[in-house]
Amino acid sequence: MATPSNVIRVPKPARSSFNPNRPVTKNTLLKNQIEHFRKLEQKLPPERQTGVDFDSIKTEGQASEYIRKMTGILNPQVAKRGGR
Amino acid sequence: MSVGLDNLKHIVVLMMENRSFDHMLGALKAADPRINGLTGTESNLDTTNEPAKVQPNAEFQSQLDPDPDHHFPAVHKQLFFGTTGPPALPSMGGFVQSYFDQQRDVNHSRKIMYYFAADKLPVLHTLAHSFAVFNGWFSSIPGPTICNRAFAHYGTSFGQVSMDMFYLKDPIKSTYERMLQAGRTAKLYYYDPSSSTMEIVNLLQNQPQIFGTYQQFLSDCAQGTLPDYSFVEPNYTDHTGDGGGEELASDQHPDHDVQAGEVFIASIYNAIRQNADLWRSTALLVVYDEHGGIFDHVSPPACTPDGYSASLQDTGGVPFAFDRLGVRVPAILVSPWIAKATVVPGPEDPASGRVFEHASIPATITQHFIGAYDARTPREKAALTFLDLLSDQMRPDSDCPVFNFS
Repeated sequence: MATPSNVIRVPKPARSSFNPNRPVTKNTLLKNQIEHFRKLEQKLPPERQTGVDFDSIKTEGQASEYIRKMTGILNPQVAKRGGR
Repeated sequence: MSVGLDNLKHIVVLMMENRSFDHMLGALKAADPRINGLTGTESNLDTTNEPAKVQPNAEFQSQLDPDPDHHFPAVHKQLFFGTTGPPALPSMGGFVQSYFDQQRDVNHSRKIMYYFAADKLPVLHTLAHSFAVFNGWFSSIPGPTICNRAFAHYGTSFGQVSMDMFYLKDPIKSTYERMLQAGRTAKLYYYDPSSSTMEIVNLLQNQPQIFGTYQQFLSDCAQGTLPDYSFVEPNYTDHTGDGGGEELASDQHPDHDVQAGEVFIASIYNAIRQNADLWRSTALLVVYDEHGGIFDHVSPPACTPDGYSASLQDTGGVPFAFDRLGVRVPAILVSPWIAKATVVPGPEDPASGRVFEHASIPATITQHFIGAYDARTPREKAALTFLDLLSDQMRPDSDCPVFNFS
């Protein structure tokens, strides 16, 4: 399949690129996603809510943790599989 | 029907985030003049009335911060600055002015004209040179992510030009629901539970079988259990994975690392490529949802309206009847049945150019896997499909690239 002429090397990103502390306000997509999850969560019965203080979500890492909890509530099949 | 189309069993769509055609692929014109990229002379006026030319200085990260505005009013300025607006042809002259609005820094605003040099994006550029690159694939709305991704899933945004996600209206069904109802298989693969799909709100509660993760996609490719139709979403956040490792956002949304997106695109390609049966029976479309506020030089054309009018509150008071497209985005169709270095002409070729947009995705999926299906918007029914690019000749393995991460 691979011959030297058709193999393309893919550089790895710099390790310093990883920044879960990036403010969530810098990414309108992410900001909107968690706001939509919040609206959706407010419609859920109390026993299905995450208990997360929405106003405490300031960073990308915190937003992803909130998304993980909401995804687990909405799609327990994938959450159970522990799928990355 | 071509032999390639006759062999086609799977279609995979990978939709990345927020980069314009010229920003990602504009440099390729130098090597292949058929690609409608940049000559190097394109410019916008900055706020001091000095021309800000395109430059091959785009960096992987830390350059487009803050996130360039790409909501409808800002995109309207990017398109029509210096004109009276529609029905005038978009000038494509307001990108620098629009970016200036966010930070009021003239030098910084000129960076919206930067593009990637030809040696900086080995994955995307290799795929563009090796398979079929579209000169005329446009985002569906001159606006942000959610409404544009809606067109990829539903063939309409149900009248939305904003980031509102609660938009569904009967009788339009998603491509996934159509496929399941027709006895076909379809899956939307999001990266992981910490970076789930934007569509989770609309589809997940009723259709959990539609969803999978990136790891499941890789496994399905290896085991030959990929559904007829797959839609793959990148990782939208930098976060810690279940095993404690660093999961780097791969969506290429500013200010996420573009190289991480290159790795992700290559991993999707390799997963298909490494299963010989899958490789010969799959077409992979790599496409971006919208331009993210970044410069492109091609004026978006008119399109078939889909029967809605946008809220004036969302458009900044500009009337919008979904009768024109958004800014051009990168789109590449990959298959061993595609002739090497295919360039699909766009609006630059009035005689044979073709215009595609995200409604082309459900239009193509529906046409190929379902056939006659009426409950679609006029916009989707009018959208061009792209599987005619598959030929009778399958290229040998040695003629198709393999990506190596070591």
